[in-house]
Amino acid sequence: MTDDGTITPAESGKLTAAEYVLGVLSAAERRQAEQRMAHDQTFANEIAFWEQRLGTMADAIAPVAPPDKAWQRIARAVGRRNPGAAGESLWQSLVFWRSFAIGSALLAVASIGALTFIEISPPGRAPLYATLGAGGGQPNFVAAVNATGTSMLVVPAALLSADQRAMQLWLIPAGDKPHSLGLIDPTRPVRVDVPPDLAGRFTQDAALAVSIEPPGGSPTGQPTGPVVANGKLTSL
Amino acid sequence: MDDGRVQSVLTKGLSGTGTGPDSMGAEVSRSQLTAALARVAGGDRAALQIVYEDTSAKLFGVCLRILSDRSEAEDVLQEVYLTVWRKASGFDPARASPITWLVAIARNRAIDRLRSAAGCRRLEPIDTAEEVRDPAPAALDLVEASQEASRLGMCLEQLEPRQAVAIRAAFMDGNTYEELAERMSVPLGTMKSWIRRGLLKLRDCLET
Repeated sequence: MTDDGTITPAESGKLTAAEYVLGVLSAAERRQAEQRMAHDQTFANEIAFWEQRLGTMADAIAPVAPPDKAWQRIARAVGRRNPGAAGESLWQSLVFWRSFAIGSALLAVASIGALTFIEISPPGRAPLYATLGAGGGQPNFVAAVNATGTSMLVVPAALLSADQRAMQLWLIPAGDKPHSLGLIDPTRPVRVDVPPDLAGRFTQDAALAVSIEPPGGSPTGQPTGPVVANGKLTSL
Repeated sequence: MDDGRVQSVLTKGLSGTGTGPDSMGAEVSRSQLTAALARVAGGDRAALQIVYEDTSAKLFGVCLRILSDRSEAEDVLQEVYLTVWRKASGFDPARASPITWLVAIARNRAIDRLRSAAGCRRLEPIDTAEEVRDPAPAALDLVEASQEASRLGMCLEQLEPRQAVAIRAAFMDGNTYEELAERMSVPLGTMKSWIRRGLLKLRDCLET
């Protein structure tokens, strides 16, 4: 602002993001802002800034339970779409060849690999395993965790194309954020040494997930790309 | 304004639908929602249902507040969760909290719906003086407010009361400048100036 309180053109441009988030713009101005957001990263960051800050005002809005039929409508609409939406189609683009028979054979090989791994675990706590899929259907990985929770084996259960992007494995304990277990190879079985602080976190209410990340893995320590496979841990 | 008054303006609805402190934060942990959204991105319908069960009452409240019509709000609620289903992979936990991301989607959808049905809405007048003078104590709200919320509260407190009231009304009800000018009985130019100067001051305060 100038001394007499006039808003300068530069300030006016910067204000658009705040006005968009606040909700005072007309329909046409909102579409303009959304188009700008798609290609102007500075503007998109400004929107994110205001959403995070102004968004806390919504804390004061009382929750109102929607009618039961609202969820049924959503579930039906989701069911009509391609199962798995983005995740599934992305996964399909990675799978270069998978017939039902071959898929089943690979799954069997993967499971045998996993079982062999568990077999050599010392007796004690039951070992855990998980089949990781995307939106139902055939799993894409089978993972087995040894009884002490210190080591695991991740076996691909689908034939995958070699891809420049990295796949990162995550442990998601119930009620916690994802923890990285490192990168995995979608073309061969990988043994993963569990970081000591996560050894006790492999429980039946935890889940495993695989996300697509930039080469070298997620730069933030949290999944940044789409999750292409996930599944809950189950006791054998 | 003293703390009690400002906090009351901040936490009490402008059209009299004041509410207590939000319980979402306590009930649903941020990390659980983040994990569920990661699973939704992978096409997990069960995870979408978890997200719905944890957040639909909050988001329905947000839609209802903006649209003032249950059937419209229900339609928009469906759009919101279908957007979540399609765009969950775009949620970046490093950049936003899951509830902030969800509330932003709900507000945007509700405001778009509101704009598409312009003209059929009854506007409640806002009496600035009355809002500002409300003496309801809000100590509990202050205690429970997130750091982010307290920060915003502090910064809004530094604005002129009418600026803070206008900004809050805009956010809560999704009004345009024209509608806010009508509700507060001031010329359009005055309303624009209040809000824009308020936002610039707010930006400076939130940044430091």
